[in-house]
Amino acid sequence: MSEENWIEVGSTDSIEEEDLIRFDHQDKTFCVYKLTDGFYATDGICTHEAVHLEDGLVMDDEIECPMHQGIFNIKSGEALSPPACEDLKTYPVKVDNDKIFIKID
Amino acid sequence: MKNNIIILGGGQAGIYAAREIRQNDSKSNIKILGEENLLPYERPPLSKDFLLDKKKEEDLYFHSSDVLKNENIEFENISINKVDFENKKLFAKNDNVYSYDSLLISTGSENKKLTLDNNLKNDIYYLRNLEEAKKIKEIVSNKNKITIIGGGFIGLEIASSLSQLQKKVIVIEIGNQLMGRIIPKQIADLVQYTHIEHGNEIILNKQIEKITKKNGDYEILLNDNSLIETDFIIAGIGSTPTVKLFENTNLKLDNGIVTNQFCETSIKDVYAAGDVSNFYHPFYERNMRLESYQHAQNHGICAGKNIAGVKTEYTSIPWMWSDQFNLNLQLTGICDEYDEIIERGNDINNGVIYFFLKNNKIRGACGVGIIGKVGRDIRITSKLSEKNTIVDKQILSDQNLKLNKLMQK
Ligand SMILES: Cc1cc2nc3c(=O)[nH]c(=O)nc-3n(C[C@H](O)[C@H](O)[C@H](O)COP(=O)(O)OP(=O)(O)OC[C@H]3O[C@@H](n4cnc5c(N)ncnc54)[C@H](O)[C@@H]3O)c2cc1C
Ligand code: FES
Repeated sequence: MSEENWIEVGSTDSIEEEDLIRFDHQDKTFCVYKLTDGFYATDGICTHEAVHLEDGLVMDDEIECPMHQGIFNIKSGEALSPPACEDLKTYPVKVDNDKIFIKID
Repeated sequence: MKNNIIILGGGQAGIYAAREIRQNDSKSNIKILGEENLLPYERPPLSKDFLLDKKKEEDLYFHSSDVLKNENIEFENISINKVDFENKKLFAKNDNVYSYDSLLISTGSENKKLTLDNNLKNDIYYLRNLEEAKKIKEIVSNKNKITIIGGGFIGLEIASSLSQLQKKVIVIEIGNQLMGRIIPKQIADLVQYTHIEHGNEIILNKQIEKITKKNGDYEILLNDNSLIETDFIIAGIGSTPTVKLFENTNLKLDNGIVTNQFCETSIKDVYAAGDVSNFYHPFYERNMRLESYQHAQNHGICAGKNIAGVKTEYTSIPWMWSDQFNLNLQLTGICDEYDEIIERGNDINNGVIYFFLKNNKIRGACGVGIIGKVGRDIRITSKLSEKNTIVDKQILSDQNLKLNKLMQK
């Protein structure tokens, strides 16, 4: 993949630990998380209904949807608890000079 | 040892119990007996996305038939109409007999019916299952002015969906607020305002005196002598646990099947879970009966563990939601035991939550807001309550202060 696919999200201190920020790019929404072992990114909308996960709760490696408590693993995107049953798409993240980049395909 | 385990009622609690039993017990025969000719499916979308055509029948099933096959869980479409607990047998209408070593009763709940003249019995619709949802969906496509009797969660969700289908909707509620007294009046008023804003008419404090059929339409006479003309009527006036089958047996009943914290009933080897059970909750030190998605799932799982011999207490903090228009309402814990109420926020766009405290600890909370705005705080509230945290009321009441600050203490 070409270099252009890495999109800058913001500075590393824009996210608190065990928290997330929403990042919109073109017509898509992403969530970028800071976990104890680094940064991760997923789609920003729950796979159950069209709800922004930015308002959800991050616990350990999981994001819980604010609407019906569907739970996803942030690192793998796996849907862990109903009513969410479809996995969440994840994206590679890199940090360069205190800046976070995500790779969007 | 190989056991015959029967699950009576193929709904949410039943399927989660079956899969949990299989996780812990690879040998026993597990059979679900369900009177709906459908694999277990989710009911919440019936009043919402299914009516709106955003979800189809195939989206509602918890698991495919392949999952059941792989886990060697049998599903049989049959209605049981007699039980013999002494000889551990169930009898079906077609004379089939089923013997069990362990039995889980997960027959759910059923809608209360209006007392009406016989000639009107088939004219009023109710919503509990997929078949009824399909029928309602089909009929409303040709109707314009629809009356919902009962302003509870399900009635209001139907009202929201039908309004989004461009129908004129009237809701008649006997009480002085929507959704019953368990919901803070302020929150009920916010929800009512949203319905009105979308064109729904909400009539409170009124009773129905008479319904008359007129040229295929209906006239509803209220106790203040006002008359409502309507072309379709749906009633959502509450539900009762499905226990008729057990009424003349030794099974202890009291607002459902009485169970302890291990989902055990008064009869050995007979368990109950989900809407049908009035269970003992050790955290609240009292019995309760819940009708919610999260409870049906977790209670089913807990019953499954206990049936498989993994003794497990049910300690889940209650939680439920309702979606109406662009609002999401959530309830956690219990909201009827408190010595103080604290309000967080006052604008529906940012979410409004009422916390119910007893001895400075949260017992329950109820919140409503534009989709996504109360979920995180309600979830944190459940955790604070579960941990018996003494809460800082300043943080609870100030929406600018994050609730997870209370968690780190
Ligand atoms: C329209 C609607 C909307 C809802 N929306 C929400 C929501 O938004 N949020 C929320 O938290 N909860 C909601 N709920 C509640 C939630 O769906 C229920 O609490 C849950 O389904 C209960 O699961 P259960 O397994 O106990 O019972 P059920 O799912 O009702 O299953 C019981 C099954 O047992 C079968 N049965 C009964 N008697 C017999 C017999 N004698 N022989 C064979 N089979 C039998 C029944 O036919 C049924 O299939 C909603 C419910 C409805 C009806
Ligand atoms: S919208 Fe996320 S779980 Fe339902």
